[in-house]
Amino acid sequence: MKVLSAPISKKDIDELEVGDLIEVSGYIFAGRDSILPKLVGLGDESRLNELNLSFEGSVIFHSAVSIAGIGPTSSNKLEIESSMVPLSRMGVRLHIGKGAIGEDTVRGLADNHAVFAIIPPVSALLTSLAVEKELVAFPEEGMEALFRLKVRGFTAIVAAAKGKSIFTD
Amino acid sequence: MTNDISKKIAETLIKAGTTFPTDRMNAYKHAIVNETNKRAKWVLETILENAKVAEEEALPLCDDTGIPHVLIEIGKNRCLSGSVMTAIQEGIAAGLRAMPGRPMALMGDASQRLEQSGGIDDDPGAVLPAPFLVKSVCEDDVFRVHILLYGGGPSIRGQVKSVFHKHCMSVVMDEIVALASEAVLKLGCTPCTLSIGIGRSQFEATALMIEAQVYGKYDIQNDLEKEITSRVNAAGCGPLGLGGEHSVLATFLKVGSQRASGVRIVSIRPDCCFEPRVATLEL
Repeated sequence: MKVLSAPISKKDIDELEVGDLIEVSGYIFAGRDSILPKLVGLGDESRLNELNLSFEGSVIFHSAVSIAGIGPTSSNKLEIESSMVPLSRMGVRLHIGKGAIGEDTVRGLADNHAVFAIIPPVSALLTSLAVEKELVAFPEEGMEALFRLKVRGFTAIVAAAKGKSIFTD
Repeated sequence: MTNDISKKIAETLIKAGTTFPTDRMNAYKHAIVNETNKRAKWVLETILENAKVAEEEALPLCDDTGIPHVLIEIGKNRCLSGSVMTAIQEGIAAGLRAMPGRPMALMGDASQRLEQSGGIDDDPGAVLPAPFLVKSVCEDDVFRVHILLYGGGPSIRGQVKSVFHKHCMSVVMDEIVALASEAVLKLGCTPCTLSIGIGRSQFEATALMIEAQVYGKYDIQNDLEKEITSRVNAAGCGPLGLGGEHSVLATFLKVGSQRASGVRIVSIRPDCCFEPRVATLEL
């Protein structure tokens, strides 16, 4: 089991292989359909600094955050998957979600020293591992706002790394 | 009396969202014993552990607590009044607030709701149920309310399809297996339970699919159900798409009346690893 916490270096990412079990602790972002394209838009306009957040070496967990808990949503939904490569260019190193992603995304992640890991959608367990949560941007999106979580021992499996995918190889 | 109904409906909804039925628990245990892929086995064990924690601590199995769907079965000696319908609605809202459900009801007019620009209601009880499905049954004194919770992932991958059967069962089965295999591959939350209704219209097929979810049993599978499960599992997608023998735990199939015609309407939903989330109240 490889242990990771943000900020994650490119070297750490480049050592990961498809199928590796990883344990993630520390601060991660949680966001999904509504706000990931907004982050990409801000990045494209060089306005990310308006959020006062650093994405270099960061982790994004594809999840809503609500009183019902947290848990991965399908990463292959259009707005999420299409944001993964642009967000990697902005410094996101680890995307955590679920579901098969396309070959173009797998290649794009590799080109930008990023990986995709899948995590079982076990909300009762995952919620108990999130020891802090803070809404950090886009409050108008409710449960789909951008949150920062402090997590303890999220266990996931690397599903796409170095241009390879667990779903096709 | 209606207050009592609301309270019981709320409890039923919470049971649907926080517990596994015994036969599903046993299906997972059986799958863990028989799964040879190590990653797949780890996923199955984690899902089972999650179910135990959710039940012990009354936590939602999944943070997508779902859209409530209701099937009411009523015998000829019982009466379904407007006030009872209202009590059921109120019980659903109370259950969502207590569980708690995920606040995900969109506000605004039709366009705002469609493009998600009118904001999200922070009241979990604002997540309204789908229109109720009411069915008469031959048991005279029955008044039964089934509450189902539909998550988003299976709704994305579910389909209703017209199948031209060519007067051959294998054509229908091939089509179902093809639909199911594609859905399972993209679902993400496997192992799934395939719920399938076959009827004469899109509405009827989906109503039958809901009945299949309510009455399907993991430990009682007919030959058609076994064949579908076996053929979809043969593709080796496995839990979370990680490979392995258990993409599908079981198939729940309900075949209704059919018409003299070259077409069968198939409604198929790849229920995620926690679904069907269903609980029943006898009134």
